[in-house]
Amino acid sequence: MSRRSATWLTYLQHFFSPFSLAALAFAGLLIALVAPVTRAQDTHYFVAYSHHMEEPGSLEIEFSTNYATQKAGNDFIAPWVEFEYGATAWWTTEFYLDTQSTFSDSTLFTGFRWENRFRPMMREHWINPVLYVEYENTTDADKTLKEVVGFDNQSDFAEPNSELNKSYGHEIETKLILSSDYKGWNISENFIAEKNLGHEPWEFGYALAASRPLRLAATPNRCNFCRENFVAGAEMYGGLGTAASLTLSGTSHYFAPLLAWELPNGVSFRISPGIGLNDNSFRLLLRWGVTYEISGFGRKVRSMFR
Amino acid sequence: MSRPRGLIWAILIAASLAFAAAGAARDKEELTDSRGVLLSIAKAPAKERDWKNPYEGDAEAMLAGKKLYLQHCAECHGKNARGMRNAVNLRTPGVQNATSGELAWFLRNGNLWRGMPSWSGLPDQRRWQIVTYLKTLR
Repeated sequence: MSRRSATWLTYLQHFFSPFSLAALAFAGLLIALVAPVTRAQDTHYFVAYSHHMEEPGSLEIEFSTNYATQKAGNDFIAPWVEFEYGATAWWTTEFYLDTQSTFSDSTLFTGFRWENRFRPMMREHWINPVLYVEYENTTDADKTLKEVVGFDNQSDFAEPNSELNKSYGHEIETKLILSSDYKGWNISENFIAEKNLGHEPWEFGYALAASRPLRLAATPNRCNFCRENFVAGAEMYGGLGTAASLTLSGTSHYFAPLLAWELPNGVSFRISPGIGLNDNSFRLLLRWGVTYEISGFGRKVRSMFR
Repeated sequence: MSRPRGLIWAILIAASLAFAAAGAARDKEELTDSRGVLLSIAKAPAKERDWKNPYEGDAEAMLAGKKLYLQHCAECHGKNARGMRNAVNLRTPGVQNATSGELAWFLRNGNLWRGMPSWSGLPDQRRWQIVTYLKTLR
């Protein structure tokens, strides 16, 4: 077997770890239980958020992963599963299960996160604010990099999993999400403030993003490959230091183009190759994910208990 | 480090209360204006009310609108648009007496407090296509 094939075999073994397979099986079971689907109006960002909320009663199941090449350590993949539920039209709640697998090291479950997004303004405006609050219970081995804050640095992840997994933290993360729609474009700006509840200082970060469907009007017929089903965009995100030192110096930053493909049956795929913009960043953060939207999930669950 | 259980419980209780409040808000009945248009739709500002549908009478746009309706709206309003549970019947005068501009404005803004999501994430063109379809349901 060639070295390249062996690398990919190792990669696949990591990708289809017991956690990944269990998560996929659970997602498949949910889908089988409640088959009808719908299409959301997603911007498909990996890091940034827009003001578009999950439709009330809809459940979006997403399986995503993050592959990174490390300068000082082994490459890794960090798959996560997220369950996004539209509690109301102005409140979306989301639960994440994180995992990671570092090549030539080990595979770990690294914790969970529970996030909530609230739209305080009931009408559309030029700029639409959303308030975001998240509780994180993850170990230092968490490599999903759903956000970059403070002085997060690629070298933080160079240590072996056995060392990183020893310490875990409870963190509260807040975001002010500002988002606008203009002529088919969505433009979003996120300001992040994260606090480790263990007497660490506040850490700050940002995420900027823009996306647009490749065709704005819909065609009359159902189609899989027409341009209306594709969304293209880009994200830029990074750290802004801490409360003690609000700075760009010593922080890491990324630029990541994005492409998403929405199928009419409620499934969508997205991919985003992120490029590190300075020495503190990973060279490459390749993210991709598959999403399945189940409309009316809440109603179907309630009807089971009547 | 000890787990902040108090904080977790406080968050769970707050979430339950918010769920209950949101459910109560959705159960209120909707009123209409003098034209018989649902007040939540009739709230559209005068400028938006007079917007013209660029696809009015366009058969292709109507078909595209039907496709979009089935993808985004039918789960709550029903495939035949006669309404289900708390979602209104879209064939009633309360909706059909509204101008195209009012419907486009309403689709963009939704009525978040009563459970109707904002569809501002859809491009303008797609919202107008849905309006074109809705206007054929009279």
